[in-house]
Amino acid sequence: MEIIQAILIVALAFWMVLDQQGFVITTWFPSIIGMIAGVIMGDVPTAMVIAGTFQLMALGVANIGGSSVPNYGLATLVGIYVALRTTGDIENAKAIALAVGVPVGMLGIQLDVLGKILNSYVSHAAQKALNEGKFAKMNRIFWIGPLIFGLTTAIPTLLCVIFGDKIVKVLLDVVPKWFTDGLSIAGSMLPVVGIALLLQFMPVKKYLTMLLIGFVISAYLGLPILGIAILGFAFAYYFFTQKINSTPAAAAAGNGNTSVEGDEFDE
Amino acid sequence: MSNTEPATNQVTKRDIRSAAIRYMFMACNTFNYENQQAPAVVFGLNKVLRKIYKKDEDYKASLNNHFNYFNTTTWMANLLLGASVAMEQKDGIQSKEAVQAFKTGMMGPLAGVGDTLIWVLYPTIMGSIAGYMGLQGNPTGAIIWLLLNIVFFFFRIKLFDVGHTSGLKLITALGDRLNVFTEAASIMGLTVVGALIPAVVKMNVQLKYQTGEVTLPIQTEILDKIMPALLPAVLTIIVYKLIGSKKIGLTSIIFLIIGLALVCSYLGILGV
Repeated sequence: MEIIQAILIVALAFWMVLDQQGFVITTWFPSIIGMIAGVIMGDVPTAMVIAGTFQLMALGVANIGGSSVPNYGLATLVGIYVALRTTGDIENAKAIALAVGVPVGMLGIQLDVLGKILNSYVSHAAQKALNEGKFAKMNRIFWIGPLIFGLTTAIPTLLCVIFGDKIVKVLLDVVPKWFTDGLSIAGSMLPVVGIALLLQFMPVKKYLTMLLIGFVISAYLGLPILGIAILGFAFAYYFFTQKINSTPAAAAAGNGNTSVEGDEFDE
Repeated sequence: MSNTEPATNQVTKRDIRSAAIRYMFMACNTFNYENQQAPAVVFGLNKVLRKIYKKDEDYKASLNNHFNYFNTTTWMANLLLGASVAMEQKDGIQSKEAVQAFKTGMMGPLAGVGDTLIWVLYPTIMGSIAGYMGLQGNPTGAIIWLLLNIVFFFFRIKLFDVGHTSGLKLITALGDRLNVFTEAASIMGLTVVGALIPAVVKMNVQLKYQTGEVTLPIQTEILDKIMPALLPAVLTIIVYKLIGSKKIGLTSIIFLIIGLALVCSYLGILGV
């Protein structure tokens, strides 16, 4: 059973990056990956707590335009695997997942860059096959690309699956309580990174009202996020219908530039 | 569709759908720093283009053209590539320059809108809800997200078709509406992000202030009286300014916070 779980986790790591860069169904977002990993490991609630922590850290982390970002999906996956192998306690599991997941997720950046460098050769080889008229061979060469990217996440996961829980078990015996507590506290503070990063890309100055409304309703009234999201949708819907109806000439003004402009941001 | 070559009639709905799915699978999985998504475009279109170009020379010329640099939001690329196939169906290899100009001209604007919507706002709104529920051990948000992705998957196949049938006119007309849509999505996104700060960033001060007989727990009696979630709000502002200053990398900030939490835990300032 443990072997089957390990194989499935590594397979999920392989698929995760291919899906994120292609079909975008299971993606590599921590929430979805964590849920699948939780099903594999047979403990969805604990997996969801770990996934939620990483998901909130990862808000606003988008690898667009070919940039490479920390792989929070990878962090979630190895974090959940190692944590659930070593402890049943949620606070401990969170601390372990952070201790293992963050460094591995950061390593993901380097491997992603390597994968993109190696894929230059795939592109050259495919174009060469095309110009030699070997069309079937060209199509086969393309498949090396996904293989490379799958390995960039599958290899670190495999290493964590083999060695991770053994190392953590040893550490747990020698590490003092304040340290694991500290990691848990860090887990509750780290979502701030995702939130702050996200705010860099959003028109904060222009719509500060919305940010404050969301904060007040949540902090003072304690309404769950889904309820506030629906409220946010209501504001957005009103704005959208007003804008579309009031400016039939919008089509004349628009010239394809994006609405997110640099000058609306804090310096 | 006026056809200059009789062969072009052989492109069926099924070919278009298969081209869409082939491109969607490969989208960034052959990504490299030279021509970025171009290999994926060739992988996606080469089957349907083979039906259009019977002559090997024309086929090679067309695919070599598609090997040129291409990068946009992959969801939006379906529109562009669908329209490209339509152009090549109509004019054959004479359309090479037009296809190249069209793809290059449209990929920037579409990426601007697409990246914001698909890679920033959509994961923000869903990630906030799913992450918040996740902290309580609840997978509902994640399941909703997964189901939405499946809906979008079919919608994207449709986009390729839309690009193929109505092509250039539509893409230009869509641009303006998308801007308003992006703005509206930002409004919703910011409301959710504002709500997230007190909901998920947790800091509990353990210290108690003692004067003679009276003990005053700082967290409940002082900080919470000023404003609930005061410390998380302050921390958010600090980190926001730090990131904005560009003086310190994101990784360093993450390790700084972990370090701060460890120190505060050791000194008994903050508790779980």
